[in-house]
Amino acid sequence: MTPLLAVEDLSVTFARNGLLSRLINPFPLPSFNVIDGVTLSLMPGETLGLVGESGSGKTTLARTILGLVRAAAGRIVFEGREVRTPADFRAMRRRSAMMFQDPVASLSPRLRIGTLLTEPRIIQGVPMPDRRAAARALLALVGLPASFVDRFPHELSGGQARRVGVARALAMKPHLLLADEPTAGLDVSVQGDVLNLIGELQRELGFAAMIVTHNLAMIRHVSDRLAIMYLGRLVETGPTRDVFAAPMHPYTATLIQSEPVPDPRRRSRNPAVTGEIPSVFRRPSGCEFHTRCPIARDRCKTEAPACRPMGADRMVRCHFPLETGGQEREAFSRASANQRGN
Amino acid sequence: MSGSLAASDLSVRYETPHGAVHALRHVDIEAHPGEVIGIVGESGCGKSTLVTALANLLPANARIEGSICYNGVDLAKLDADRQRLLRGDEIALVSQDPMTAFNPVLTIGDQLVDFQHHRKDLGRAQKRSRIAAMLDRVGIADAERRMDCYPHELSGGMRQRVAIAAALLTDPGLLIADEPTTALDVTMEAQIIHLLRELRREYNGIIIVVSHHLGVIAELCDRVYVMYAGEVVEGGEVDAIFHDARHPYTQALLACDPARFHERLERLPTIPGTPPNLTLPPSGCVYAPRCDRAFAPCVSVAPPLVKLSTSHVARCHAVTP
Repeated sequence: MTPLLAVEDLSVTFARNGLLSRLINPFPLPSFNVIDGVTLSLMPGETLGLVGESGSGKTTLARTILGLVRAAAGRIVFEGREVRTPADFRAMRRRSAMMFQDPVASLSPRLRIGTLLTEPRIIQGVPMPDRRAAARALLALVGLPASFVDRFPHELSGGQARRVGVARALAMKPHLLLADEPTAGLDVSVQGDVLNLIGELQRELGFAAMIVTHNLAMIRHVSDRLAIMYLGRLVETGPTRDVFAAPMHPYTATLIQSEPVPDPRRRSRNPAVTGEIPSVFRRPSGCEFHTRCPIARDRCKTEAPACRPMGADRMVRCHFPLETGGQEREAFSRASANQRGN
Repeated sequence: MSGSLAASDLSVRYETPHGAVHALRHVDIEAHPGEVIGIVGESGCGKSTLVTALANLLPANARIEGSICYNGVDLAKLDADRQRLLRGDEIALVSQDPMTAFNPVLTIGDQLVDFQHHRKDLGRAQKRSRIAAMLDRVGIADAERRMDCYPHELSGGMRQRVAIAAALLTDPGLLIADEPTTALDVTMEAQIIHLLRELRREYNGIIIVVSHHLGVIAELCDRVYVMYAGEVVEGGEVDAIFHDARHPYTQALLACDPARFHERLERLPTIPGTPPNLTLPPSGCVYAPRCDRAFAPCVSVAPPLVKLSTSHVARCHAVTP
């Protein structure tokens, strides 16, 4: 089966200086790779979780895939055809959709829900005999009452706004849905609602989804595969179940260990990792995680690790991956000293 | 100086053009020196109203009933000047957003000197050396140099550390942390949890942690109050709340947390329905419309606070000791 979306060696560069300082300064500072050599693929109907801390470039990657940010290098192949020119991206966006992070802010405050829902079809020039009926059908799809067509975005709760976001993303019957933090700011009881809805519609309509998030507890239940990002590079990819059962990259392992457990009998002893994600402007030499890695050695400081395939469908970018029962894993658990009680 | 805190039969309503919003109704909580108290609930449950009432920072349209006794003094009845003195000296609040907690045009050092305004016995140099020691204590490397930084030069995690340092500099008897880790990444969240846990060992006052994140509450607190629609529906030791929850809402809330399940779930559990409108709070149990165990009296009669053990209480008709 050919992938629905394939991203090959994608890089995004942000110039450090703005226009003004470039005019003043004839010797500009070098530019910086915000996304660096990302390769990933998405099968039709599959759900991929893109996970990382803030500043890891996950939102930028999602926006680049849809052509909202321009890539400096690399290829994006969608449904077997390379997407390169703005016209290509426009054609691609007709068959893919993005749910933006802030559900209320992504809805124009002066337009009614009915207008907002049918706007994608107007923009793409899809004939629509009865606009209100189309809006009502979309509302029904996401389980909202038809009376919402005349409401304004500020009259909705966070969960309802998120449902409108889902309906609007699905207005064009996309083959690919990119959801940026679909549950940020939602209560746990509502978060499940939105994710169940996306899951149901996915089974019904068969689109593939890429969910960008930092919420590990949630993504473990809704994704088939995971891609872990750190400072603009993918450090590990693999089936969700395998990654959670036996993370291979020390960063993945620290992320999983850092998650607070809702059980007072299993309190963590020490933080699994100290310090913060460095800035892309000051990318550490060698492996970018060596400054925080509990098992970093001399080699990690000088030599950047390459992507290593680890069995079927898994990749890790680390000199000393944690293999099950291997000495690295033992060293890691000793170093992070974070075994939970019980 | 640190003493106990007890709020009894505390109610707060906000007067709005659309009528009064009964944001907090008949809340009883208590806290003793050395304890970490957790207040957990979903958005709109009144947890922020409760802590702003404790810190005496409610807006002008709030009407407060009942009492908040701290150290034998009823805070709700103090005049504004005495309240303000108490806030500088005894009560400190770490807010959710470390971004807006500081003045952007003053350096960290200058602001932390101002926080110690009530310490008339200390000179500026002494205050600065206290700051350096405290910043070092909360894990900020190179504290002397960091004092000359402006807030925007620090990352979110560092700003939250500075906010905690600022609160501790006043030697408060009551430290309130409102969603202290919500704005942070999971790795930084773990570090702040660790920091708060370390600090409590040498700190004798009361710490109140407000969060919607059950994991944070479980990691940090000794006792927990669960809030729903402006009421405390259950309270008890952290272990009793997480392992022997009795109120149907607490049980449903715990069941919703995906962090509790390691095997992939096809459907995530949810709580059907929505919280009640607090301009017209229901006469019966606030949770009855969403409760799967509701029976006739739940709709009409407000449930009593049932004492399940010396420390465990639940507000429900269906529970028995």
